[in-house]
Amino acid sequence: MATGGCAVRNVRLLCLAHFWVAFGAFLVASVLGAWQMWVRSPLGAHTGTPGQYFMSVTAHGVAMAYVLTTFFIMGFGYFVAVTALNRPLPGQWLAWAGFGASIIGVLMVLVTVLGGNASVLFTFYPPLTASPWFYIGLVLVVAASWVWCVLMIIAMTTWKRANPGQPVPLAMFATVANAVMWLWTTVGVAIELLFQVIPAAFGLVQTIDVGLARTLFSWTLHAIVYFWLIPAYIAFYTMAPRAAGGRLYSDTMGRLTFILFLIYSLPVGMHHLLMDPEHGNGTKFIQVLLTAFVSVPTLLTIFTITASFEIAGRLRGGRGLFGWIATLPWDRPMVLATGLAFLMLGLGGFGGLINMGYGMNAMIHNTSWVTAHFHLIFGGSVVIMYFAIAYEIWPRLTGREHASLVPLRVQLWLWFIGMMVMTLPWHWLGLQGQWRRVANFNYADPIIAAWGPLVIVSLGGGLTLLVSAVLFVRNLWALHRSAVPLRSQRLYALAVHPPRHVPAALNGFALWNVLVLVLMLAAYGYPIAQFVIYPSPAAMVHRVEPAMR
Amino acid sequence: MTEKSDPAVLDQPWRVWASVAVLSIVAAGIVLGILIIPIVQGQSASIDPFTAICRAIGILPGSPARPQITDRTPPTPVSQVVWTPEVLQILAEAHPERGKAKVQEVCISCHGENGVSVAPEFPHLAGQSGAAIYKQLNDYRTGSRTNETMTSIAKSLDESLTADVAAYFAAQPKRDPNPLALAEAPAAIIRLVELGDPSRRIPPCAACHRPGSGGPIETPILSEQQEKYLVAQLKMYASGERRNDVYGRMRAIASQLSESEIEGLAPYYRAGFK
Repeated sequence: MATGGCAVRNVRLLCLAHFWVAFGAFLVASVLGAWQMWVRSPLGAHTGTPGQYFMSVTAHGVAMAYVLTTFFIMGFGYFVAVTALNRPLPGQWLAWAGFGASIIGVLMVLVTVLGGNASVLFTFYPPLTASPWFYIGLVLVVAASWVWCVLMIIAMTTWKRANPGQPVPLAMFATVANAVMWLWTTVGVAIELLFQVIPAAFGLVQTIDVGLARTLFSWTLHAIVYFWLIPAYIAFYTMAPRAAGGRLYSDTMGRLTFILFLIYSLPVGMHHLLMDPEHGNGTKFIQVLLTAFVSVPTLLTIFTITASFEIAGRLRGGRGLFGWIATLPWDRPMVLATGLAFLMLGLGGFGGLINMGYGMNAMIHNTSWVTAHFHLIFGGSVVIMYFAIAYEIWPRLTGREHASLVPLRVQLWLWFIGMMVMTLPWHWLGLQGQWRRVANFNYADPIIAAWGPLVIVSLGGGLTLLVSAVLFVRNLWALHRSAVPLRSQRLYALAVHPPRHVPAALNGFALWNVLVLVLMLAAYGYPIAQFVIYPSPAAMVHRVEPAMR
Repeated sequence: MTEKSDPAVLDQPWRVWASVAVLSIVAAGIVLGILIIPIVQGQSASIDPFTAICRAIGILPGSPARPQITDRTPPTPVSQVVWTPEVLQILAEAHPERGKAKVQEVCISCHGENGVSVAPEFPHLAGQSGAAIYKQLNDYRTGSRTNETMTSIAKSLDESLTADVAAYFAAQPKRDPNPLALAEAPAAIIRLVELGDPSRRIPPCAACHRPGSGGPIETPILSEQQEKYLVAQLKMYASGERRNDVYGRMRAIASQLSESEIEGLAPYYRAGFK
């Protein structure tokens, strides 16, 4: 059965538990985000203290970047594993154990952040260190996500053993690509936390090698964004073409895309350290060159999904060069979200190319441009696809259908408009030099005063996003009470030419893991080894203590 | 299984060409980033190719495109105290009981046996940060800070005894780190403490002087301090008479404060001392 109906019941509670934690954190973080926009604007200047601001930014960042993403991705992975493979999930008790561990981790993070013991933002840049329990909480979440990775890999390999020679369904192939990438990705931050930051936070050591810590974090820092992004791409390839009423233009293109993400998202993190002194220009160059190749899977995707949509549009009677666009069913949330995500991905991707260039990055480094960029590309194109995925699969989890699609469309449009209104002025302010990671601006200064109107426009976008976030949670909540029963229909798109036999390279990850290893050695081998060969001057650990009793 | 659909046969060109593609990209990156670009850039900056390549890899410091700055003018620090791991070790291993003997012999007459001073012009030292006391004693010893009485006393201490005395005072009962809870202060003063005044480039006092807020290690705890002492120090910073503050931070701030702000901040921090 295409929807994997029996199997869904197997993981229904597991998926809903993960999703509700993710979206609960999302709702709280949205409120904090809107408050931060208010405090930074001339309207709310001097509301609250810097200590409260940084505590809020930490909570917002951790909730959005670690809780929303990790829980959503794990829940989505379990859903894909049973629906795409149409088999029960192996080791479900382990999945629940991982869920329990990650809840304990989140609670530890919550207590330390609210206690003011962890106002270090969501990045791990020593010598500033938070309470060790903050880091241990996050390590628990990561360890739980490793359990998820192992379960995803086991689900795929047991399916392959039962179906020799058969191509793994694309949705599952992509999910496992993400799991494999995540295992590689988290090694960097795990080494940083376990061997550098946590001993320092406990007071076991008084000094820390900041260059090494930043390098290890850069290993994780860029690939983690692709970990968050891949569910959106899974929806582009496997759900959007079906929702549009067509077929996927090319299954092979999909497989290639996820493989390219796996190999090129890892050896590129040093483009976050272009302004750092601890690495040579040549090693930075190599990683920037590799970064350029990360744009390839995105370009492949834009081509393939546009072609798939064109097929759907023409099947619905669209004619001419662009006539097919108008005939697409834009009233369906998945189709609408895909269109809006592409618009945001286009603008955000263009901004990303600027961040990637050594010279252009120098102009926008540490300005609001960067904050605007990652809000547009992650908060915009990725999170809007999380919404679309939730709207698509929630009926299958609850057995109920949305009573009306109108509030869903309104919510998606509000998110798109809010994100554009918030981030476009924010980019512009960054170009004018507005710095990031500060608690307030002095609008008495004539130069900064001129930023005021744009910051207020941006605040308007932030408030729109908050309205959209509340509406999103309301829409899901309403679905639990909907009286309309589920209409059974296919979830995953068929390819124009469904794959019959695919080479082992496009059906597994052995070859690609070897190539990732080669690339990581070339990109990070010497840059990390140098810290052992020439120990750098140590920095004193600075521990965050509660700002207020 | 026919040969055409045999995964191993299908797979071979993928293995070969994927590896070739990835390795070519890496090789191109190495040749361009570590060989060609540094050598060409080095030529226009009169850097020999070998040095340029070493700089590109990161073995030698500096950029392959620019001559390394060779300015070796010795800096003249406002304080001789450097927070090296060795100094931190000395502080961590200090003996408060040895410090106590010295305190009872010398310090007691002004700062009191437990660091509660006997007159308003002498600072309370009880519960002060050990690093802060250590730095001030060292600054007196090396002449970075001067005071008729303290200079000669500090010169009689060696480094480890300085740390012992600091550790003794630091071990006395902790102060309340948050005077807000203790005192009603004018709104303008609380604003200065919490938010500073960016238009005069005054950062919030609490940005450094609230424990754990992110100031340098030598930042003293100000709460429950002698009012008269605080006023005198702020005025000395403002006039430049006292100058052992690293980067001139306190001189820059104090010179922006008005007389009434100084008079308002001192009782705010004085508050609550029993």
